[in-house]
Amino acid sequence: MQYTSASVEQLVEEFSQLPGIGKKTALRLALYILKMPRERVASFSAALTNVKEKVRYCSICSNITENDPCIICSNPKRNRFVICVVEEPNDVLALEKTNEYSGLYHVLGGALSPLDNVGPEDLKVKELLARINDSLEEIILAMNPNVEGETTTMYLSRLLKPMGMKISRIARGLPIGSDLEFADEATLSRALEGRVAL
Amino acid sequence: MKIASAQLRNFRNHTETELEFKTAANALLGENGQGKTNVLEALSYLCLTKSFYAANDGTVVQQGKDFFDVRGTLLLDHGTEQTIRVSYDAAVNRRRYFVGEKEIVTFSSVIGKYPIVILSPENSSITFGTPADRRKFIDLTISQSSKVYIDDALEYRRTLRQRNKILSEAARKKMLTAADKASLEPWTEALVTRGAKIILKRAQFLREFAPYVSDAYAAIVEDGEAPATAYEPQIACSPDDSAAAVEERYRRMLEEKRADEIKTGASLVGPHRDEIAFSLNGLRLRTYSSQGQHKTFLVGLKIAEFFYLKERCSETPVFLLDDVFSELDDPRSTRLVGFIENLAQTFITATSESVFRNALQWNDERQKIFIRNGAPVSEREMITA
Repeated sequence: MQYTSASVEQLVEEFSQLPGIGKKTALRLALYILKMPRERVASFSAALTNVKEKVRYCSICSNITENDPCIICSNPKRNRFVICVVEEPNDVLALEKTNEYSGLYHVLGGALSPLDNVGPEDLKVKELLARINDSLEEIILAMNPNVEGETTTMYLSRLLKPMGMKISRIARGLPIGSDLEFADEATLSRALEGRVAL
Repeated sequence: MKIASAQLRNFRNHTETELEFKTAANALLGENGQGKTNVLEALSYLCLTKSFYAANDGTVVQQGKDFFDVRGTLLLDHGTEQTIRVSYDAAVNRRRYFVGEKEIVTFSSVIGKYPIVILSPENSSITFGTPADRRKFIDLTISQSSKVYIDDALEYRRTLRQRNKILSEAARKKMLTAADKASLEPWTEALVTRGAKIILKRAQFLREFAPYVSDAYAAIVEDGEAPATAYEPQIACSPDDSAAAVEERYRRMLEEKRADEIKTGASLVGPHRDEIAFSLNGLRLRTYSSQGQHKTFLVGLKIAEFFYLKERCSETPVFLLDDVFSELDDPRSTRLVGFIENLAQTFITATSESVFRNALQWNDERQKIFIRNGAPVSEREMITA
């Protein structure tokens, strides 16, 4: 295939580098941008540059932020005695949406996975250890419920246990509004394992 | 469960085949290469979502066609009928599975729902082959009755791959750096916890399974040969051990093998290296037994699997017997057929009716289906051909 415009070709190339975007979609996006008013294209391109220039990692929790420390770490109303450890920044967003958690976060930047070349050194573990002090009451481990997440949970809990504060993990189990009979066996058995005393 | 009917389209040499089945025995008769086993394979697609021997679906599509399609009606034990459809599109290399109108996306949710017990020439590796073949056999049997086990086994396999990645890097560098050591430690712990679960489950399974094997053997063999199945895990274990005790032993053995692991670049301790020992009258089957004894042992294992699954699944399994008579003597063949077809619906392939001798009376519950050149034909057509 031959492009009649080198600029369009370059834009298609750039779009198709993005996750989930193939050549066809990339071409459609590029042609759409060609038809957009000049001001909107300018604001789109500014958004792209801004994200790279302004966004950095919070020096305390390693979450993405524009102001260091981030708005969660610097919010005096948050409960400073609890830290919830998650894998990625979008996990923070998910937990924030619940409006139920008022403590602080720590973003590891992934989970242990040698196949992806991720070892303990590549996660923000040292940064987590640096945050531990005598007033900290609890660390909640909220990793994804897969092999890598579980192994990371195991690893962190062994590392943190000797330090004296309470270590907990989020429960694995049944979605709200579902029926027991429709739950898959693995989920149900995990839910049984993690049952709570009343 | 019973299979009431099946329709095959573009399925190997079956272009358009429709079959109705009887509730007890269905003998598929025909010469070599006419398409008898292909019918069993189609039934395997209906009940397990996949073939019992083809590694990829593409080879199942008839030459020159771009899809195959299998439909069937299953009659469940409590009386309801279910229609199943499996279709494979070669253009996108995708297999789809429907129960009624509903598409089932996670194939593993079907495992154990429509249980079948298959005895085919490929199974001879269970007694003749490597420990991996025997582990596969018991893993499949446990999986059909416990979905949690499937999950645990998959997690173990993933953990093993993760841990081996670190070890293979170390083997390449011929040393375990401090960073590698820090990486290895959590995966060792993960391997130990997940592996111990598998070991305990297998130990428990083999303890429960052993009496089924003895009973099955007694039913098909007259002279009292005594079969035994024993779990020989690398990490010594009894079903009554606590998980913590097995984990401790596991940890210690890994510690001892650490240097070797770094040399070979792979995990050397765990359920992925277990053996399941089969013996007859106290002698190792692999070393001491004849072809016929191997075959009889295999049949015994399969009948044991049937009873084990029957008690644990909600459905009575269906037997698919592919070419089972080849290494058995006449009395054993006759007893086998008579015994099995009394237990459950049975599909048996054979090149000639004579192998059944008087074991089967052809009636409302038992039929002969003649297959020639990928299509069912009448008995008269068969004789005149």
